[in-house]
Amino acid sequence: MRRLRIVVIVLAAAVLGLAWNAASGRGLALGKNAYVREGDEVIPVAEARARLDKGALFLDARPLAFYEMSHIPGALPLPEDDFDRAFAKIEPRLRSSLDVVVYCSGFGCEASHLVARKLKEKGVPAVVLADGWPAWTDAKYPIKEGPQP
Amino acid sequence: MRWLRHPILYWVVSIGLGAVFVYASLDKIAHPLDFARIVYRYRLAGPSAVLGVLPANLLAVVLPWLEALVGVLLITGFWRREAAAIAGALLVMFLLAVGYVLAQGIDVAHCGCFTVGGEGRSAGWTLIATDLGLLAAAAYVMLGWPSDPVPGRKPISAA
Repeated sequence: MRRLRIVVIVLAAAVLGLAWNAASGRGLALGKNAYVREGDEVIPVAEARARLDKGALFLDARPLAFYEMSHIPGALPLPEDDFDRAFAKIEPRLRSSLDVVVYCSGFGCEASHLVARKLKEKGVPAVVLADGWPAWTDAKYPIKEGPQP
Repeated sequence: MRWLRHPILYWVVSIGLGAVFVYASLDKIAHPLDFARIVYRYRLAGPSAVLGVLPANLLAVVLPWLEALVGVLLITGFWRREAAAIAGALLVMFLLAVGYVLAQGIDVAHCGCFTVGGEGRSAGWTLIATDLGLLAAAAYVMLGWPSDPVPGRKPISAA
């Protein structure tokens, strides 16, 4: 009896939650990444690789220590937690780049989306690498170790 | 330890625990998208290559309502022990999640415990201590001490 009541409570919460999500007008799309907002452009890893080969500028939005361990070859560090200072250092390069791709630690990481939006505010269009660094390494694409791009 | 069996204490703890759960649910219910972003940072239910975003989004949608429902049941006394059992299970889940991010060195920054915006509390040892206190309260309500015979006092029903 107690177990049945517990199941009823959990099911009732699920029904209420899903109904509210569908009807409230402020719900989230269940199959969509909550980090992605309207206006964000996200590209899959294979397209990112193709863009790298064509000379796209990659930006690493992770904390600097992660960049210095390893990063995508040619990428520049633009950590979200130190955006203003890092942006000032690489601004000329950013403004001369026609194709900018931002990535971070993937999955639970929002930094790449935040950096791409900040860049957009500053007039530098940038796309986000879907699932970030883990997607790149899982695809066995080349990486570079150390602090140099 | 007879004071532990006092019906007034039992009700106060039950209502207090329920109020905490209702309060914890409100901001999450109002802002499910922001809560989903916090759920992602724990990296337990996804998003990941294997799980995708669905489990994390479902958790973000359902969990606040479960907290609200459990809170209301604890306050009203209807199915109180079952609600306390779920509250205990949720608190164990929260403790495991906080323990996981601490062990992994993941900086969650905002635990998503009571609010989803602003600064918020980080997932740390203070949060673990708070959750352990709430877990003790849930266990106390679930065990239903006042239903045991107390000389000179009428036991309250277990609903």
